[in-house]
Amino acid sequence: MSLAIAGMGWATPLGRGVDSVWEQLLHGDEASATAISEEFGHQPYNVFRVPESALTGLAHPRLRRASVISRFAAAAGLDALRAAGVKLDPQNAERTALIFAISNGGVIYTKRFYRDVVDAGAQSASPLLFPETVFNAPASHLAAILGVTGATYTLVGDGAVGLAAIKMADDLMANEPLDHCLVVGTEEVDWLSCDAYRRWRLLRLAPPIEPFNEQRRGMILSEGAGAIVLARDGTFTIECAHPGGHFTKRAEAEEILKRILRDLCQSEIDLVISSANGTFVDQAEYRALQAIVPNAFVYTVKPALGESVGAAGLWHVIVAAQALRSAELPPVLHADPAIGLRLSLSRTSVAGARRAIVLSCGVNQQAAGLRLAIR
Amino acid sequence: MAKPSSPNQKKVGARVAVVAAGVVSPLGFGLAETLESLRKARDCVSPVTRFSVGQCRCKTAGQVPDDRLLAGQGEGIRGHRLHRASHMMIQALKEVVTQEPQFKPELAVIGTTSGGMSYGEHYYRSLRQAEELRHAPTWIANYPAQKPVIDAQEAFGFFAPCQVIANACASGTNAIGHAFECVRSGRYQRVLAGGYDALAEMVFVGFDSLQASTPEKCRPFDRHRTGMVLGEGAAILALENLELAQKRGAPVLAEIIGYGISTDNFHITQPEPSGVGPRQAMERALQSADISAGEVDYINAHGTATVFNDAAEGKAISTIFDGVPVSSTKSMMGHSLGAAGAVEAIVCLLALQHQFLPPNINFQALDDGLELNVVANEAQPALLSMALSNSFGFGGTNASILMRKFEV
Repeated sequence: MSLAIAGMGWATPLGRGVDSVWEQLLHGDEASATAISEEFGHQPYNVFRVPESALTGLAHPRLRRASVISRFAAAAGLDALRAAGVKLDPQNAERTALIFAISNGGVIYTKRFYRDVVDAGAQSASPLLFPETVFNAPASHLAAILGVTGATYTLVGDGAVGLAAIKMADDLMANEPLDHCLVVGTEEVDWLSCDAYRRWRLLRLAPPIEPFNEQRRGMILSEGAGAIVLARDGTFTIECAHPGGHFTKRAEAEEILKRILRDLCQSEIDLVISSANGTFVDQAEYRALQAIVPNAFVYTVKPALGESVGAAGLWHVIVAAQALRSAELPPVLHADPAIGLRLSLSRTSVAGARRAIVLSCGVNQQAAGLRLAIR
Repeated sequence: MAKPSSPNQKKVGARVAVVAAGVVSPLGFGLAETLESLRKARDCVSPVTRFSVGQCRCKTAGQVPDDRLLAGQGEGIRGHRLHRASHMMIQALKEVVTQEPQFKPELAVIGTTSGGMSYGEHYYRSLRQAEELRHAPTWIANYPAQKPVIDAQEAFGFFAPCQVIANACASGTNAIGHAFECVRSGRYQRVLAGGYDALAEMVFVGFDSLQASTPEKCRPFDRHRTGMVLGEGAAILALENLELAQKRGAPVLAEIIGYGISTDNFHITQPEPSGVGPRQAMERALQSADISAGEVDYINAHGTATVFNDAAEGKAISTIFDGVPVSSTKSMMGHSLGAAGAVEAIVCLLALQHQFLPPNINFQALDDGLELNVVANEAQPALLSMALSNSFGFGGTNASILMRKFEV
């Protein structure tokens, strides 16, 4: 059974709205970095933040105390449903599933909650903050806003979790009498998450992200959300959602990616949306792409929008759908032209392109992929 | 009682067998120790030793002893660096592999709420208090929620894709339920399902701040209940297409026959008081299994012993069922959050295999507002064919699974 995308929503450091963000990407725009610091940390970090203007119109009481991760998710999720023309009532709310993809989760409130505990003891712990630290808080808020009474799941993982969530939606829609499945990937950034990735030698202090560069200078974290409404019918068909796999050593990532690509290459592939982000992921993807789909156009959105981890997989799918719809690829920013892949180094026509592979290789041992086609 | 009416029809699909199971919890290491603790109604809650609880109201939890847990050091895979959660998952999977060495999973669906949280705490404290950060890369690498699932698989040479479900306290039951549906649909033949969580200061303090945890004994459904105690553990069930399992001569421990999930949108930490969310989850599990409420012989309740949960769950149970024996085994071992649903599925499995009702300890008198047949304080022999297990969580997630004794 194939699955269709009926609507999409996007909240990014380049603003909100699929068409608006896509236009900016086609023009070669990239997000502006913001420096963030921490009172006990010596090192400031640069991140790509979502502008406050992108979060207007989210007045629901459940979002009043919620962290930005929930607000990003609500913005993208509501936009996706609107684009799909889906309005939930008590009947179809039961026949709509909600699946969230998250990696670091509500790190801002988690840090704030635990800071009070460390600084002033357990008696200072806030009962208002604690529920917002739970991984499924953003899903709970959106379910309440929408009135979803059926299945709600939050999946946790690395940058591949977004595609794992789509795979889960694929399995759910095969089993359940569901009309729609809203899949949302969302992430927020904090100094603490930057510092953690930096200590793991995956983050660089300031842009740019240089994709596929052998030097592996690192990624820049970003925040935001992406959402897609899956239905039985729509312009884009997810022909195959690959279950993916995991690697125990970074050196094994290439083999996993090759296997995913091989499995997805049963039809002719016109373009690949890669997850290259300036880390070890790039060389693994580079070698896998060279070996399996050397002739496909390759694009990565991360130099323009940053690494949004839990949201990244959904962003890749939106990019793939927009590329197939507009028959164009934006320029891959900050890439070396000598790289031996068919990168879209400038705004590139992909007229006639029918199929794209979306890859997501995370930095915490997970990888996944899917094949998307336009009708 | 009549079957609940619903537009949902019986879902035709493959029968789903549990062919192996493994567990680590305060009740013990493995099925045999767990069975013994259940039969003897052991209170396995003890004073917290992992971190300071001096400022907390609650000072006890169900804990897995480190001396046994860390004895194997993760079967040699960088064992000293792994989080306790990984060690628990490795122990649980070891028991599965020992029982069923031929089982090769295509997918692992595992629930958790907090992953390697205590490593996140070490990292934050060290930063905040300008302490030694030499081990920070290890803490960071072992913090992600998927890591214990990957570690456990690595220890036994498995490479199944992981779906890590974080639906708060319903995670473990959601994981088993989703895995069950994956096998029933025919999309997968063999799936590992379960849950894990290790005790963490932040989570402990969080529940304490909500005054959800108790300074007293955990007394589910009791008139004098004052709250929950936390616990920890890991449990894994190997699910397989029954026909294929029988063809290859695998032992069938039980069948999973139904799964129900619902979301109530009342409050992020409290259930809707009428119990509509739990009721929908249980009704959907019955519909999914195509059985009537009267066919259920035992209910392992979510039963946290908080005022709100037990009232809502109790109402929901008595709306659907008529006098079915109910117990919350959290009274014995605490609430292990993401592991709870998986550990309690194993409690149901043992109850079906060994034909007894697991006890609800520390019980004195039933809450006046509830009409429940609580299995008070001692395990009881019983003829059981069908067991229901409930798990409900923050965010209004509710999940129920139905398990059946396997008859050839």
